[in-house]
Amino acid sequence: MNFALFAIGLPFVAAALLGLAGTPRQGAIGNAVASLALFGLTLAVFWGHSAGLVAVDPLAALFGTVSGFVGLTAALVNIGYVSADTARMPAQRWRLYHALFQIVLGTTLLGLYADNVGLLWAAMEGGTIAMTLGVSLYRTPTGLEAAWKYFILGGVGIGLALFGTMLVYLAAQPALGPGFAAMSFTALSAHAAHMDGALLTLAFVFILFGYGTKAALVPLHGWLPDAYAEGPAPLTTALSGLLINVALLAILRFRHLMQANAAAGGSAMPPGPFLLSLGLASLFLAAFSFSRRRDARRFFGFSSIEQSGISAFAFGIGGPVAIFGGLLHMVLHTLLKSGLFLALIRAASLRGSASPGNYGFSHLRGLLQANKKVGWLLGACIFALTGLPPSGLFASEFIIISQTIKKNPYMSLPLGLGLLLCAVAISRNIGPLLFAPASYEKPKPAGRDAWLVGLHLVLVFVVAFAMPGPLVNLLSHAAETLQ
Amino acid sequence: MSLTFSLAHLMGGIILLCAFLQLSQRRLAAMITLYQLEALILSVAALWQGYAQHEMALYLTGLITFALKAVLLPWGLREIVLRFNMVRAVETAMPMALSMILGLALIGVAVLVVLPTTMRSISLTREDLAIALSVVLLGLLLMIVRRNALAQIIGFLSMENGLVLAAVGMPGMPFVAEFSVALLVLLAFLVVGVFLLRIREHFDTLDLSGLEEIERRGR
Repeated sequence: MNFALFAIGLPFVAAALLGLAGTPRQGAIGNAVASLALFGLTLAVFWGHSAGLVAVDPLAALFGTVSGFVGLTAALVNIGYVSADTARMPAQRWRLYHALFQIVLGTTLLGLYADNVGLLWAAMEGGTIAMTLGVSLYRTPTGLEAAWKYFILGGVGIGLALFGTMLVYLAAQPALGPGFAAMSFTALSAHAAHMDGALLTLAFVFILFGYGTKAALVPLHGWLPDAYAEGPAPLTTALSGLLINVALLAILRFRHLMQANAAAGGSAMPPGPFLLSLGLASLFLAAFSFSRRRDARRFFGFSSIEQSGISAFAFGIGGPVAIFGGLLHMVLHTLLKSGLFLALIRAASLRGSASPGNYGFSHLRGLLQANKKVGWLLGACIFALTGLPPSGLFASEFIIISQTIKKNPYMSLPLGLGLLLCAVAISRNIGPLLFAPASYEKPKPAGRDAWLVGLHLVLVFVVAFAMPGPLVNLLSHAAETLQ
Repeated sequence: MSLTFSLAHLMGGIILLCAFLQLSQRRLAAMITLYQLEALILSVAALWQGYAQHEMALYLTGLITFALKAVLLPWGLREIVLRFNMVRAVETAMPMALSMILGLALIGVAVLVVLPTTMRSISLTREDLAIALSVVLLGLLLMIVRRNALAQIIGFLSMENGLVLAAVGMPGMPFVAEFSVALLVLLAFLVVGVFLLRIREHFDTLDLSGLEEIERRGR
């Protein structure tokens, strides 16, 4: 059975229902139920069969499950978020909010599962529109400004990506001829050797800058920190990492076409240098932007740019092991970031409210006085983000660095320096956030959903250091086919 | 066959000319008129390609383009210009002449990039693609050199026309009509977005008049 179609369809049906009726609280609960069902479906996709426009390979199924999990935990935390914040928006806008939540999940899954460059593009476009509406949901001046930025940059990116998509289609004409075959990743990858290499290179440049906008690679990253900081936290912060994954996987797949063409003696340029330079630029921009950020969500937005850059760098190094490292990094970072933002939402609600504008570092500092559990969980998440052992990210970064030393030793110096700068900049925040003496306050309850953060941390640790056999097989097989 | 070529190229050329002329216009109304002409020619080009390639989907694209982009969107844009009293307002971030020279350079880049890389494709697609890429780049340039939100939107719309021009020139590409509809949804959101932004500014001015009201009462 083609579970993938159900997994894509369910969120859109749920979005229609949630958008039309219900109080905010009913909407939040319905949203959580739909997300739970969706998580089940994304698991079922592993055992389903699919063909045609929506043909799921194991890698897409894995990222689908990760997305389903992140969606589920965000939806659970969202229940508390909505009940604390109900009064800030009219009921109608909460309905829109929950519909957008599901649409973002649906477009993410469509982008992951589609075996068609056109459908992938349509999914990214839908995700962009939904996210823009999400960012501007509170109608604050800063929120509207962030949404406008997102729309202009995202729109230009979407336009460039469409041009690149059409060029890929044209490049495939000598091998596959007109029709749907020339838009399917499976067929394209099988016939990559006979594609028009020069045209493919041109296409890749457009794709890289188009989807690179959505993956927040420098120089097209400008929208991300604002979008993270201004929208409702469960939607624009916890979920937007999923669209970044879709964009990065798209870049990886197109990179594979180019690499395969170049390796088979075609006239395509090797894609490595493009990805290496954008990846390093993202890493360094993030490293130098960390200082003087007052808003925690904006700060961790820059960290997303950094992680996205690391994955792009790994794809640029190439070869099965480096790509394995890059994919592992994406999985770990998605899980970790989701946990971190959930902890951040808890921390902000300890201090009164989790709506935008309440995430200043100075507002949150001294968390251990407010609640020990939340404080330590948040501290652990932030520490894990630095990539220092025993954090899970250490495993993937170690793989990427060792591959860089092996294949392209000169690049390992800037990579190491960038990683170090980022680690220092991130870890500097842990001290004040946890231990600073805050004005006297009574300890408050952590909230019922704090264990979800712990679950994320445990998952990251297990995936990084005690990875189950089937997962190793899946990732290494995917890395070999996409090298 | 030669008529197919020359007509397609003629229409591509007019579209490129419209995109280029938008760079030199100071007034929003003139930019909108040029955009309208551009969209009109684009719809004719789509219909012509539909006839030449015997594709029903391209006829559909042409009709959608005509109804929405050549009629509805310009009307909406003019409405916004009138309602928010922007008839005279265009601030440029760069001298007009400089932006036109840059535009010429971009057209050169597009031609130099596309023509050598597409030696193996049929020539109809080649030149259409070079023109389409030029229109896309000119649209991007327009977005950079204007500060006014509505002028940026027109740049985006013009860029999107270039994309549709490229799409209708692709031999037998599936989803062309769907692409143009999806892009239109994006555009509609953009225009509505400007509308909302402007409304917010409008409210700000209303707030100012509220202040005056208080002042008057104080007196």
